[in-house]
Amino acid sequence: MHKDIQIKRYLPEEHAEPFWQTFHVPYDDTTSILDALNYIKEELDPTVSFRWSCRMAICGSCGYMVNGIPKLGCKDFVRNYPSALHIEPLAHFTVERDLMVAMDEFLQHLEAVKPYLIAEQPEPTEPHKPHRQTPAQLAKYKQFANCINCGLCYAACPQFGLNPEFVGPGAIALAHRYNLDSRDHGKVERMPVLNTHNGVWSCTFVGFCSDVCPKGVDPAAAVNQGKVESAKSMLIQMFRGGA
Amino acid sequence: MKRWRGLHLEPVWWGLFSAGGVCFAVFIPAVALVFTVLAPLGVVELNDQQLQAWYGSWWGLMFTGAVICLPAFHAAHRIRHGLHDLKVGGGFWSVLICYGLAAIVSVFALWIWFNA
Repeated sequence: MHKDIQIKRYLPEEHAEPFWQTFHVPYDDTTSILDALNYIKEELDPTVSFRWSCRMAICGSCGYMVNGIPKLGCKDFVRNYPSALHIEPLAHFTVERDLMVAMDEFLQHLEAVKPYLIAEQPEPTEPHKPHRQTPAQLAKYKQFANCINCGLCYAACPQFGLNPEFVGPGAIALAHRYNLDSRDHGKVERMPVLNTHNGVWSCTFVGFCSDVCPKGVDPAAAVNQGKVESAKSMLIQMFRGGA
Repeated sequence: MKRWRGLHLEPVWWGLFSAGGVCFAVFIPAVALVFTVLAPLGVVELNDQQLQAWYGSWWGLMFTGAVICLPAFHAAHRIRHGLHDLKVGGGFWSVLICYGLAAIVSVFALWIWFNA
């Protein structure tokens, strides 16, 4: 079987504008979108640029818009598209070349919410003991810990499209993940970022982020649970006279 | 002042929106069913005097809040964010017009109840 696959090309040194190019690609039931792209690069046109690495939805590198929907190339199959198949770079990001986008905006937001365990301050003086956690404490955040930073939720989020300053679904889901972790003491540092207009409050609960998440993280739930947390945090600040 | 640094009214609007959303989902369909279907069909009988006495009590105030005031703020919030999505208006004027209208509707409804 063969399939005509259209790819949105952007070669800034040669063409000022992006353009569509069609490739005739053989496929069977096991051909992923990423396999098709690799076939194009190896057999048809070595100048086509795209990111990929693990081929098993772990690394989060191969995010593209497939027929307008954000997808991981390795987790989506050519057989799912019986008619037309268009592949574009992820929406809402700056395109560097062909299907490659600059992830800087997302990474800045990710850095701002400190997505790592923060120790108690000042650190306890007694010798370090293992941080024990019960299964119930793990269950609180486990779902949100599956994020692979692929950026599909940012390509799906119309609010991020309108306002790139919005911290966005992925970073908020990870902030929420660490806030819910019983070993963490960094909530007080993360909340000022989430409390701003560009934090949780820019979300209008469209929910498409959760639809497209390839790992079932449900960032929309994290953002909206984050609104309750943010409202509580602001109320506490108001009464206590400081964050 | 540190106490007020970074605070804004969005949680208040969102709280009213959430409460109004519950009312929209639970009470308004029930009210619509009773007043526009069951009563005209004669399945439930509504007596004007009884209804007026009921409306004049605290139940009437709860009805006003759950069926008019909170849903008005819910709608205002939706319209404000809908306008933002369409890149219309935005900022202070959207807030003033949307929630201002909801406030006027609410005050008017409460005034009617108060004088009932």
